[in-house]
Amino acid sequence: MNITTKASAGTMQSSDLMVHVEPADGLEIEIESTVKKQFEHLIRARIEATLQRNSVTRARVKVTDRGALDYAIEARVEAALRRAAEV
Amino acid sequence: MVAVAVPLLTAGERAESRRLVESHDLTFEDGCDEVVGVYDAGRLVATGARGGYVLKMFAIEASYQGGDVLGELATSLIAGGRRAGHDTLFVFTRPEHAASFASCHFRLLATSGAVTLLEYGPGLEEYLRTRRHLRREGRNGAVVVNGNPFTRGHLHLVETAARLVSTLYLFVVREDRSVFPFDVRLGLAQDATRHLSNVVVLDTSRYAVSAGTFPSYFLRKNDDKARLQMRLDVRLFGERLAPAFGITERFVGHEPYCETTAEYNRAMAEVLPQCGIGLTEIPRLEADGRPISATTVRAALAAGNLAAVTGLVPPATMVFLESEAGRGIASRLQSESMAAP
Repeated sequence: MNITTKASAGTMQSSDLMVHVEPADGLEIEIESTVKKQFEHLIRARIEATLQRNSVTRARVKVTDRGALDYAIEARVEAALRRAAEV
Repeated sequence: MVAVAVPLLTAGERAESRRLVESHDLTFEDGCDEVVGVYDAGRLVATGARGGYVLKMFAIEASYQGGDVLGELATSLIAGGRRAGHDTLFVFTRPEHAASFASCHFRLLATSGAVTLLEYGPGLEEYLRTRRHLRREGRNGAVVVNGNPFTRGHLHLVETAARLVSTLYLFVVREDRSVFPFDVRLGLAQDATRHLSNVVVLDTSRYAVSAGTFPSYFLRKNDDKARLQMRLDVRLFGERLAPAFGITERFVGHEPYCETTAEYNRAMAEVLPQCGIGLTEIPRLEADGRPISATTVRAALAAGNLAAVTGLVPPATMVFLESEAGRGIASRLQSESMAAP
């Protein structure tokens, strides 16, 4: 999947996250989270897995999370990727 | 209740929003790009708006505060802002509401008195990151100019200041509300100061005198709101920009005419020392017994008197004024001054 444009998905509600995706030369992931201290590594792992499954190797992914669960993270990231890839 | 923010589009819906905003002792401003609201059982219980990259007029009924209503309003307005091309969004609010916005991942930029400014998005961090290579060691100073256009007065200020510090940062206001567009103003500042090896020219983005941080500057009104915003703007410079570039001195031209600028100088004199920054006021360069100002230059251009400008601007500005683009701006000034009563 090629990221060709900027796109977002998600909300700022509690237990949700917002994902902003844009084109980049490499893979950059930035995470802000209300539970960053405890769970940043797990959030990052989930994002990386979603990127890998969609064969995304070049993108800038910014996440602002308010305690979302795994499946929400996956769904939001995937939605943002699809919008940014203009499939 | 499931909070869903919807756009308020009709006159009736906007009137409801106005009532809610005014009931929170806020002023409803017309001309926003977007107004959104949250309804419960047919009643508007929360509202917020966006004008350009500034989010404003958040009002949430007391019994709905502390929940997800703010997140919903912010989500909707940020999405709209991004669709309009604004990756970073500002919000001006009262200090007691800063924590609520912070929990929605807004970052605090500065607080002064009764105003707090926060932003959502890459914003200041990105601005500083992309200008990190401009950072120089030493005792550095700063001058902020609009440069509309760049005059010998500006040059005098920069040359004087540059002699007093290791590196002088010349910030050019990015906000495009001036008759000379930003690209031209930046280019002229660069050309005019090229001979000064310790001057670094850069843009302010929106982190100095701009519509976002300081809209009253452009309104030419000298009320309390202006005072508050000036102090907020100076604090933002003193606490966020200056430390990033090792700036410990700010230089300004003495202001004999414009009351707004004079008030701004007073705000700097008051706030900058609190941030550990010195302020030096430098007397204006005069021509024919009168201080040189960009206002005088624009007035001469509006009068079609290009010859009168020669002594007031450096060669780079003169070359531009004689170019086709420069003549275009002069004729715009002329037609505007003729249209004015």
